[in-house]
Amino acid sequence: NCGSALTKMSRRYDSRTTIFSPEGRLYQVEYAMEAIGNAGSAIGILSKDGVVLVGEKKVTSKLLQTSTSTEKMYKIDDHVACAVAGIMSDANILINTARVQAQRYTYAYQEPMPVEQLVQSLCDTKQGYTQFGGLRPFGVSFLFAGWDKNYGFQLYMSDPSGNYSGWKAAAIGANNQAAQSMLKQDYKDEITREEAVQLALKVLSKTMDSTSLTSEKLELAEVFLTPSGNVKYQVCSSDSLSKLLLKFGVTQPAAETS
Amino acid sequence: MSIFEYNGSALVAMVGKNCFAIASDRRLGVQLQTIATDFQRISKIHDRLFLGLSGLATDAQTLYQRLVFRHKLYQLREERDMKPETFANLVSAILYEKRFGPYFCQPVIAGLGDEDKPFICTMDSIGAKELAKDFVVAGTASESLYGACESMFKQDMEPEDLFETVSQALLSSVDRDCLSGWGGHVYVVTPTEVKERILKGRMD
Repeated sequence: NCGSALTKMSRRYDSRTTIFSPEGRLYQVEYAMEAIGNAGSAIGILSKDGVVLVGEKKVTSKLLQTSTSTEKMYKIDDHVACAVAGIMSDANILINTARVQAQRYTYAYQEPMPVEQLVQSLCDTKQGYTQFGGLRPFGVSFLFAGWDKNYGFQLYMSDPSGNYSGWKAAAIGANNQAAQSMLKQDYKDEITREEAVQLALKVLSKTMDSTSLTSEKLELAEVFLTPSGNVKYQVCSSDSLSKLLLKFGVTQPAAETS
Repeated sequence: MSIFEYNGSALVAMVGKNCFAIASDRRLGVQLQTIATDFQRISKIHDRLFLGLSGLATDAQTLYQRLVFRHKLYQLREERDMKPETFANLVSAILYEKRFGPYFCQPVIAGLGDEDKPFICTMDSIGAKELAKDFVVAGTASESLYGACESMFKQDMEPEDLFETVSQALLSSVDRDCLSGWGGHVYVVTPTEVKERILKGRMD
């Protein structure tokens, strides 16, 4: 009798971020992942000569003030960039944190922070919000793309729980399961950067909800080595992106409106 | 001996016509002993901004690393390079933070600002800025440098002339200072290119 009364009482507090449910789940973390499932998708593909990140811009209104800044991709340091999916304001905090962590490492060791260590450091921050403080977790998933001298090109995916893993190809945000299975089918180990761009655009075009695919709805960025051996993060310009969409035959014409 | 004279240094920056030059000596010493003859005292912050740090070498290195930290974050957030005037303010603020336990450095900042206008300035070890339209000097050879620059400087020199003037001013001044010398390192920066040259002077 006493036991069942206790379990009934404890269920009321299971929604707190720092408390397990009787089934051993962290509800707040799962709810955060739900929020991301409704956000614009992003895909990352690792190739032998670079990492490709493609993102779907969810908010495209004619009233939006055009700016050179990107909405989905952000540079963390010269050798690491990330794509985001989820609550943008949460993402901004984490991106700033990651940037400062990378610079602190460079200040201490006078060399760029290894990609995995940066991802781990950020994930440790995220994990803190699932265990103490009584604060909600961050509603963001990341795809980190980077290069370091130890492991070359790398792609990592992290989620609100603070969990992360390395991937050859990954998708986050809306329809990520469909995108992930498509990537599983078409990804080849020896893929080149150009083929990776093509694959990413193809998969995104198939999984995106919108009726037409134009360069305004997408962002494309690549992390690669220049001929002089330096890591470069480059965001594709709107014009080049339109040309690529035409070249790979993934542009769908906008629906006629009367 | 003063802590500022422990390692020995000589720095000068000069304004030319749509260009600037920044030059330093190459000696690193420990009081009277010379340890290195290829010490880099001038560092690039970005393509149009250079920083020279005279004084105690360890403080110069640490200060430079802290400034790179701050500038990198600025670049990421603002998506542009820092203007020289802004950078000078940042250096001044960082130095003043340590008002009662300062960095034993005297920075010389030189850059191209808006519309490619050359900007130079120096400050003392606790951040008092000194903006100049012609030239700024720092280091153990600063008194000689003041004299040499004052007599050799002309307004609106072209990059090649500017290089000659800065080099002559530097070499003649460090020759009168036992703690600086062993050659020179000169950067001449125009809107289109950065020319880096090593000078051979009296190797003593």
